[in-house]
Amino acid sequence: MSARVRGGLFHAALLVSVAIGLVLLATLLVDVLRKGLPFVDGVLLTSPPSSDPDRAGARPAILGTIELMALLLVMAVPLGVGTAIYLEEYADRERWYNRLLEVNIQNLAAVPSIVYGILGLAFLVRGLGLGRVLLAGAMILTLLVLPILIVASREAIRAVPDSIRQGAYALGATQWQVVSRQVLPAAIPGIATGSILALSRAIGETAPLLLVGALTYVSVNPTLFGDFTALPIQIFQWIGRPQENFHSLAAAGIIVLLGLLLTMNAFAIWLRNRYEKNW
Amino acid sequence: MSETHPNLVRIERTATSSDPPLSAEAVFDVLDLRVSYNGKAALQDVSLQVYRQNVTAFIGPSGCGKSTFIRCFNRMNDLIPGALVEGTVRYHDRDLYAPDVDAVEVRKRIGMVFQKPNPFPKSIYDNVAFGPRVLGMTGDLDERVEEALTRAALWDEVGGRLKESALSLSGGQQQRLCIARCLAVQPDVLLMDEPASALDPISTTRIEDLMHELKRDYTIVVVTHNMQQAARVADRTAFFSVDVDEGGHRTGVLVEYDLTEKIFTNPSDPRTEGYVTGRFG
Amino acid sequence: MRITFQQELADLEQSLQSEAGLVIRSLRGALSALRRQDVELAEEVVAFDDEVDRQYFAIQEGIQQLLARQTPVAADLRLVLAMLHVNLHLERAADYCVTIAKLVKLAQALEGDASLVEGLEEMGSRAEEMLEVALESFADRDLERAELLVDLDEMIDTANRRLVHDVLALGGKPELREWGLRMILVSRCLERIGDHAVDIGEQTAFLITGEFREFTDASHPDGSSAAR
Repeated sequence: MSARVRGGLFHAALLVSVAIGLVLLATLLVDVLRKGLPFVDGVLLTSPPSSDPDRAGARPAILGTIELMALLLVMAVPLGVGTAIYLEEYADRERWYNRLLEVNIQNLAAVPSIVYGILGLAFLVRGLGLGRVLLAGAMILTLLVLPILIVASREAIRAVPDSIRQGAYALGATQWQVVSRQVLPAAIPGIATGSILALSRAIGETAPLLLVGALTYVSVNPTLFGDFTALPIQIFQWIGRPQENFHSLAAAGIIVLLGLLLTMNAFAIWLRNRYEKNW
Repeated sequence: MSETHPNLVRIERTATSSDPPLSAEAVFDVLDLRVSYNGKAALQDVSLQVYRQNVTAFIGPSGCGKSTFIRCFNRMNDLIPGALVEGTVRYHDRDLYAPDVDAVEVRKRIGMVFQKPNPFPKSIYDNVAFGPRVLGMTGDLDERVEEALTRAALWDEVGGRLKESALSLSGGQQQRLCIARCLAVQPDVLLMDEPASALDPISTTRIEDLMHELKRDYTIVVVTHNMQQAARVADRTAFFSVDVDEGGHRTGVLVEYDLTEKIFTNPSDPRTEGYVTGRFG
Repeated sequence: MRITFQQELADLEQSLQSEAGLVIRSLRGALSALRRQDVELAEEVVAFDDEVDRQYFAIQEGIQQLLARQTPVAADLRLVLAMLHVNLHLERAADYCVTIAKLVKLAQALEGDASLVEGLEEMGSRAEEMLEVALESFADRDLERAELLVDLDEMIDTANRRLVHDVLALGGKPELREWGLRMILVSRCLERIGDHAVDIGEQTAFLITGEFREFTDASHPDGSSAAR
């Protein structure tokens, strides 16, 4: 078999792989859109759930998801980026505790999310006495996505060429000035990407939230220290109902979820582009 | 042929060269300097003085420690974990490595230009303004930027497009930008670690001409692996070589330090002679 | 570009021209001493040679520095090499002026022949003219003018040959004969100065054309040359 033929076959195999992924995704999307688009309306967005599918909405769930994501942003990003900065710029690699930290972070990314749920139940809900509240849900999601954020941020920080740091130090900048004025701005595109990954992972998490106390039927808007639910849970609950309309509502819920996800991603991409143009 | 080359045309007589005589005021006084990385010695027992308004060049084969040495002058070796500097480096009679000396203060006065031009991924203006901003220098920033770019012989080329990205400049321009960046903080000394080795010959000549101009106001120390460059630009040259001990461990040593004329016409040490004539690397 | 280098090259050439000025002064002094039989002036000429030697060494040193530090190539290199040779020729010419002065001292007590002295003066001013033409054509990079030196040299050579006959015709008085011999040596010095001026012209030609050729070759008087 000549090199050219082999090259051609390889190219074809690549195209097939891409096609499989795209076709599957397209099928799922089309199915969801077909079932759910007619049901995406004001009722869905503004009404609380009800046993009557015509009156049921997902307002508490939507608000719950939005609030969880907002809390995640506020808690996880500073923690994750801060840890990454510490590990990359300040920590002495030789010290045992820093090495321990590094190994642990890599392990944490692989832990199944249900384990986080159990952790949350034991330490946050019962141990700290927070109870089954939104804050607990947000905190556990934070822990879940932290490893992703830390790894992505570290990669972004590491990607900043050392020559930039050397140049800044040589001008008389302090370590903090070098980090805040050169390294971080240059790493923002990577950090933004990492945040997208983290939020995208978290938005769909169901198991840990359930363990920490998300309810399947919540009719009031979620508050920080009150009962709460999230969109994936609401969708799960509707799928379980026998009525066909609830299934369509579930599809509609999925569309809303995707919409939220795309909005978040768009924002992060905008942020990345804004900082990337200087390169 | 006689129309093209300038030396085949009668040279108009300008004022005779009035370079100031070589200054004898020492800016740096190095005594018994030793640098090691993680316990392994890289540079041994170096003692010399760097003089004001001179261009001083460090030459030698690779691995002889000349880059390590130049980084001792602005405490950049502090940034390398495992690096240990022993001995004394006095700058205007102050010990640079005394415990009460702040490395940031040192680097304000002693600037550095690196081998590969390293402009920040920001605009030309922000590059030059970075130093004054982080150091909290007062005064008109626009003026400082213009003056620095003018001194670095770059203003004519970029004066009209300061907001453009620094990365859009050519290699030679980027290096001059890095020089302007240093000049903006008004240092006393300019350290240059192989400033032209990543550049084409024309840009190299421009940098060399620039060094000649800048030495009127700054003390310049340059590391170069191109000994002809040292011959062209330096007033004094120090030749470093590699010492291999019984264990096979390689350390850098200072072999000879003298006026450049002497080093290139009649060096005292046979090792120097061997190196500059190219008989040994 | 390479401002230092250009400046140093220009300064060296300037020094060379000023050295030439010193040599011409020396020649004039020697000729005056000859005409007036002025021993004091002759001694001054001898002492003055130290000045020329100082210039010579300084230029030699400067050329060494330039070669070591600036690695000139192409026309720059030819200029430096040409200056090296011109420097040497000027120094030799100055030495001949010293010899003339010393001969004047030796001949002081002797009676001479006025018309012979006139002839020597004629040769002397020709030699002086040749030096001036040589250095000017070097400065102006004027090849044609440099080639004129050949003709001027002819005149000195002819005059030099005629002088031998004139000295022989002086007659038998021992003092006059001694004086005559000394004057033959003076004439020889002047002729050699002329030759050095021609050599300087050849350097000008080398600088401009990049080829070295002798204007007149003693072993090939018909114009062909070995150096082609």
